[in-house]
Amino acid sequence: MPSAAELAWLIPVLPLLGACLSGLGLISFNRTVNRLRKPVALLLISSVGAAAVLSFAVLAEQLGGAAPVEVLFNWASAGSFNLQMGFRVDALGAVMLSLVTTVALLVMVYSDGYMAHDKGYVRFFTYLALFSSSMLGLVISPNLLEIYVFWELVGMCSYLLVGFWYDRDGAAHAAQKAFVVNRVGDFGLLLGILGMFWATGSFGFEQIGSGLQQAVADGSVSNGVAILLCLLVFMGPMAKSAQFPLHVWLPDAMEGPTPISALIHAATMVAAGVFLVARLQPVYEAFPAVNLVIAVVGTITLFLGATIALTQMDLKKGLAYSTVSQLGYMMLAMGCGAPVAGMFHLVTHAFFKAMLFLGSGSVIHAMEEVVGHEPVLAQDMRLMGGLRRSMPITSTTFLIGCVAISGIPPLAGFWSKDEILGQAFGSFPVLWAVGFITAGMTAFYMFRLYFLTFEGNFRGGDTALQAQLLAAAGKPVGSDAEHSDHHKASLPHESGWQMAMPLAVLAVPSVLIGLLGTPWNSRFAALVDPHEYAHMAKSFSWAEFLPLAGASVAISVAGISLAAFAYLLHKLDLAQAVAARFPRINAFLANKWYLDAINDKLFVQGSRKLAKSVLDVDSKVVDGVVNLTGLLTLGSGEGLKYFETGRAQFYALIVFGGVIALVVLFGSLG
Amino acid sequence: MAFPWLSAAILFPIGSALLIPFVPDKGDGKQVRWFALGVSLITFLITVGGYLNGYDPAQEGLQLVERVQWLPELGLAWSVGADGLSMPLILLTSFITSLACLAAWPVSFKPKLFYFLLLAMNGGQIAVFAVQDMLLFFLAWELELLPVYLLLAIWGGKKRQYAATKFILYTAGSSLFILIVGLAMAFYGGNTSFEYSVLMAKEFGTKFQLLCYAGLLIAFGVKLPIVPLHTWLPDAHGEATAPVHMLLAGILLKMGGYALLRFNVQLLPAAHAQFAPLLVVLGVVNIIYAALTSFAQRNLKRKIAYSSISHMGFVLIGIGSFSPLGTSGAMLQMISHGLIGASLFFLVGATYDRTHTLQLDEMGGIGQKMRKMFALWTICSLASLALPGMSGFVSELMIFVGFSTSEAYTLSFRIVMAVLAAIGVILTPVYLLSMLREIFYGRENTELTSHANLVDAEPREIYVISCLLVPIIGIGLYPRLMTDTYRASIEALVVRENLALKQLSLPPAGGELIRQQLLKAPLLPA
Repeated sequence: MPSAAELAWLIPVLPLLGACLSGLGLISFNRTVNRLRKPVALLLISSVGAAAVLSFAVLAEQLGGAAPVEVLFNWASAGSFNLQMGFRVDALGAVMLSLVTTVALLVMVYSDGYMAHDKGYVRFFTYLALFSSSMLGLVISPNLLEIYVFWELVGMCSYLLVGFWYDRDGAAHAAQKAFVVNRVGDFGLLLGILGMFWATGSFGFEQIGSGLQQAVADGSVSNGVAILLCLLVFMGPMAKSAQFPLHVWLPDAMEGPTPISALIHAATMVAAGVFLVARLQPVYEAFPAVNLVIAVVGTITLFLGATIALTQMDLKKGLAYSTVSQLGYMMLAMGCGAPVAGMFHLVTHAFFKAMLFLGSGSVIHAMEEVVGHEPVLAQDMRLMGGLRRSMPITSTTFLIGCVAISGIPPLAGFWSKDEILGQAFGSFPVLWAVGFITAGMTAFYMFRLYFLTFEGNFRGGDTALQAQLLAAAGKPVGSDAEHSDHHKASLPHESGWQMAMPLAVLAVPSVLIGLLGTPWNSRFAALVDPHEYAHMAKSFSWAEFLPLAGASVAISVAGISLAAFAYLLHKLDLAQAVAARFPRINAFLANKWYLDAINDKLFVQGSRKLAKSVLDVDSKVVDGVVNLTGLLTLGSGEGLKYFETGRAQFYALIVFGGVIALVVLFGSLG
Repeated sequence: MAFPWLSAAILFPIGSALLIPFVPDKGDGKQVRWFALGVSLITFLITVGGYLNGYDPAQEGLQLVERVQWLPELGLAWSVGADGLSMPLILLTSFITSLACLAAWPVSFKPKLFYFLLLAMNGGQIAVFAVQDMLLFFLAWELELLPVYLLLAIWGGKKRQYAATKFILYTAGSSLFILIVGLAMAFYGGNTSFEYSVLMAKEFGTKFQLLCYAGLLIAFGVKLPIVPLHTWLPDAHGEATAPVHMLLAGILLKMGGYALLRFNVQLLPAAHAQFAPLLVVLGVVNIIYAALTSFAQRNLKRKIAYSSISHMGFVLIGIGSFSPLGTSGAMLQMISHGLIGASLFFLVGATYDRTHTLQLDEMGGIGQKMRKMFALWTICSLASLALPGMSGFVSELMIFVGFSTSEAYTLSFRIVMAVLAAIGVILTPVYLLSMLREIFYGRENTELTSHANLVDAEPREIYVISCLLVPIIGIGLYPRLMTDTYRASIEALVVRENLALKQLSLPPAGGELIRQQLLKAPLLPA
C-alpha cells in the first residue's frame, strides 16, 4: 500500500475535480445545477474533506519521522532543457496542507449558512474548491516554476472571489486591483525565477541555494546581481502577502463575501508569500542584505497596517489592516533569519484570524437583517454595539480572537508573536522597538473593534446616522428601503449552526495551539526544523525570556486598557483628545497614508494617459504615414474613387494578374 | 503510392467550393451552411488522417511528400510536404476553419458566396503551409488574399471598403518582396529551382542573404504583424465579421510567423544570425506598444486586435532566441494564439450580435443578463493573459526561459529585453480585465438592456468555445502533447542557426553590446 505522502498529489486534485465537475455543470446545465444546491455543496465539501483527511495522514507520517517525498516528471522539454513538475511533501508542506484544508473545510461549512440566500451559491462553492485546490498545489510544489504556476492560479481565484458580486462597482474594481497588483509582484517573481535559472540552471530550492552561492564564490555571478535576483523573487511574496507598498489590494479585497476574506485574505492565500520566503531560506540565508530588506519591509508593513487600523470604522477593513500588520510580523521574522518563528505565527494567526473574520461575517450577516444588504451600513461599527447580548457565541469567540491576537498568554498569539519579537531583539533592535510599540497598538485597535461592536447599546436603528453614512459614501439614501423594509428586524440574531460551529471549532486552536511552540520546548520547531529546535532549547533562558515577554504583555495590557477607557467606559473621548488635536495625523491615517491616492495619480492615471498618447501616435502618425503614402501612390483623387466605387477588387485583380505575368516572363527568360 | 493526404486537404475544399453554386438553397444559407460545415470537417479529418498515417513526429525531415511536375519550362512542380514547422499549423488551419463555419451560422447575406470564399481560403491556407516550392508558396499566399479581401469588402462593417483596400494594398504590395526574393534565390548560382530543399542546399553569400532577409522581413512583418507595419490589422479586424475574424487571427497571422521560420531562419541562417537582435527588439516593441494601444482603445474589436499584435511579439522574441526552448515556444505561441485569439474574436462577434455595439462606453453590467457568456469571456480572457494551466502561459514561459538562457546575447541585452517583455505581463491583465469589467461588471446599463435583446449563450456558441478550450487547456496542462509533434524539426532548425551564428565573423554595428563573445565558456551547465 502506498504511503499517504505518495498519494499527496491527490490532495489538490480532488477539490479540482469537484470544481471542474460543478463548473462544467454550471456552464452546460445552469438552471438544473443551480437548483442542486445541497448536493453540489456536499460533493465539494467532501472533496475538500477527503483532501483534509489525506493531509492529516501526511502530517501524521511526518510527525512519525518519515522522510520527505519528491516525485518529478518532465513537463516541457526542448533540446537539453527539461522543465520539471511534480510534487514534494516535507514537514513544512505537511503543516501547511493540514492548515489549509482545515480552514478551507470550516469556511465551506460556514458558507453554507452565510451564502444560503445568495443566488450564486453553487458558483461560490465551485470557486472555493478551485481556490483550495490551487493553494494546496502551491504548498506541494517542488520547485519555483511550479510555485509560480499555482501562485498565478491562486491569484486568479482571488480575482474571481473578490469580484463574486459582480454587479457591485466596488467589487469589480477591487477584483481587478487585486489581480493587477499581484501581477506587479509576479513581474518581479518571474524575472527573479528566470535569473536564478540562468545563474544556477535549476528551479529547485536547495539547488538554487547552493548553486547561487557557488556562482557568487567562483565569480560567474557578482554579489550584487545575486542580491538583485533574490529581491526580484521577493517581489512576489510582497504582493501576495500584502507587504508595503504592494499591500493596497488587500483592504479593497474585502468587497468579496466575508467567508472569502477569512479563507483567502487572512488564513491561506496571503500566507503563500510567507510560505515561499520560508521555502527560499536556503537561498536567502547567504545574503544578509536581502534579509535586512525583508526585515525592514516587514517592519514598515506591520507599523503601517496597525496605524491605519486605528481609525477604521468598517469592521472588515479594520480586520484587513490588522492582517496586513500581522503579515508584517511574519516577514520580520523571515528577515531575522527565523523562518520557524514566522511560520509558527502564520499557523496561529491563520486560526484566530479566520475565526475573527468569520465572526465579523456572522455580525454582518446579522446586521443585514436590520439595515439591509448595503455594505456601507452593515459593516460600519458606528451602527453596531451591544451585540454581545444577542450573539453570545460570536461575541465570545471574537473576544478569544482579540485576546489571542493581542498577545496575552497563554493564547496562541502570545507565543508566536513573542518568539518573533525575541528574534528581532537579537538581530535588529530598532526593528524590535517598532514591533514592540505596534504590539500595543494591536491590542488597542482589536479591543476597539470588540467594544464598538459588542458592548454598549445597539445603534443600528438610528436612521439619521444611516442616512449620514450613506451620504458620506455617495450612495442614494433609502434606495432599497421600500422593498426590504417589511422584513427588517429591529435586533440582530445569532447565526445558525453552520456558522456558529466553525467559530467554536476555531476557538480551540486559537487558545491552545500556541502551547505547541513554547520557546523551551517547541514541538513545532521539532517537526519543521530539528536543528532549530535543538538550538532554541539550548539557548533558552528564563532570564532573557521573562523581561521581554513581560514587556510585551504589559504593552498589550496598556493598549487594552486604553481601549476599555475610551470605548467601554467612555471615560475618554479619543476623537476630542487626540484626533482633534492632531488633525493632520488623523487625516493621514484615515486616508491610509495617501497611498491609494498616490497610486491612482501615478499609476492608474499615468498609464491611462500614456496608453492614450500611444494610441494617438498610432492612429495619427503611424497610420497617417500609411494613408499618406497610399494617397500619393494612387494619385490622390483617382485612388479615392477606386475605394468608393468598389472597383478596388478590379485593381487587386490587376495587381495579381501583373504578378502572374511577371512570373511567366521571368520563367521564360530563365 | 500512398494516399496524397496534403494534396487532398488543399484541393478538396477548393473543389467543393466550386460545387457550391449547385447546392440547392433558398438563399437564406440554411442548406449551404451544412454543406460548408461538412466540407470543412472532412478537410479537418483529411489533415488528421495525414498526421496519423503519414507523419512521424520523431523525424525532423520532410514527410508526406508529393511531387508532380507541373510546368517544367518554369521549373514549377506541385511539391507539397510537411515537417514539424508546418504540420501543426496545417492541423490548426483545418480545425479553426471548421469552427469558423460553425461561427458563420447566422450569416444570411449572400451565403453561397460567403461559404465559397471560406472554403477556398481553407484550401489556400493549407497550401501556404504545405507547399515546398517558393513559387507555389507565392501563388498560395496571393490566392488566399483575394477571399479575405472579398470577405472584408462585402460582409464587413461600415468602413469595410477602406479596411479591405488597406489590407490588399498592404499585403499584396509587401508580397512583391516574396516574389522578387524568390526569383533572386532561385537564380542564384547555377541550378535554377524554387524548391526549398534545393534552396536550402545553396551557399548564399552573406550580403545576398542580408538583402533577401530584409525583403522577406518586410513581407512577413506585414503579415505577423510587426510594428510599425501593423496598421492594416486593426482596421481589417475592426470591420470583419466573426468567422473572418477567427480566420484572420487564428491562421493569417501565423502565416507570417511560419514564413519567418521557414525562409528567414531556415534558408538564410547567416543573415538571421545578424538580424536576430532586431527581431527581439521588434518583438519587445510589439508587446509593449500594442498592449498600450489596446488599453486605450474603446472599441472592443480593435482592442482584441491590438492584443493579438502584442501576443505576436513573443513569437518574434522566440524566433530570435537561438535556443531550442525559445524557438519551440515561438511555435507554441503561434498555435496557442491561434486558438485563444480565435476564441476571443468569436466571443466578440457573439457579443456584438446581441448588443449591436462595440463601444465599451455603451456597455456595462450585462453579466447579469448573460451569465454563460460572462463565464466564457472570463475563461478566454484569462487564457489570453497567460494564466497557468492554459497554453498561452506555457508558450510565453518557454520563450522567456529560452531567451534569458540563450548564449547568443550578452547578459545586459538579455536583462533589458526580458524586463521590458515582462512589463507585458503587467499590461496584459490591465487591459483585459478592464475590458471585462467594463462589459460585464457593475450596475446594468439600462440604456443598453432596454433595447438590446441580451439572450445568453446558445449551445452552438458554447460548443465552439469548448472545442477551442479543450486544446488550450490540454496544452496548458501537458505541453508535450503539442511540442513533441514538432520538436525534432525545431531542434534541427536551431542547430542550423547556431552553426551560422558561430561562423558569424563580423558582428553588426554595436554588436559587442548585444552579442556575447562566443569563445567564452557557456554559463549554463548542460
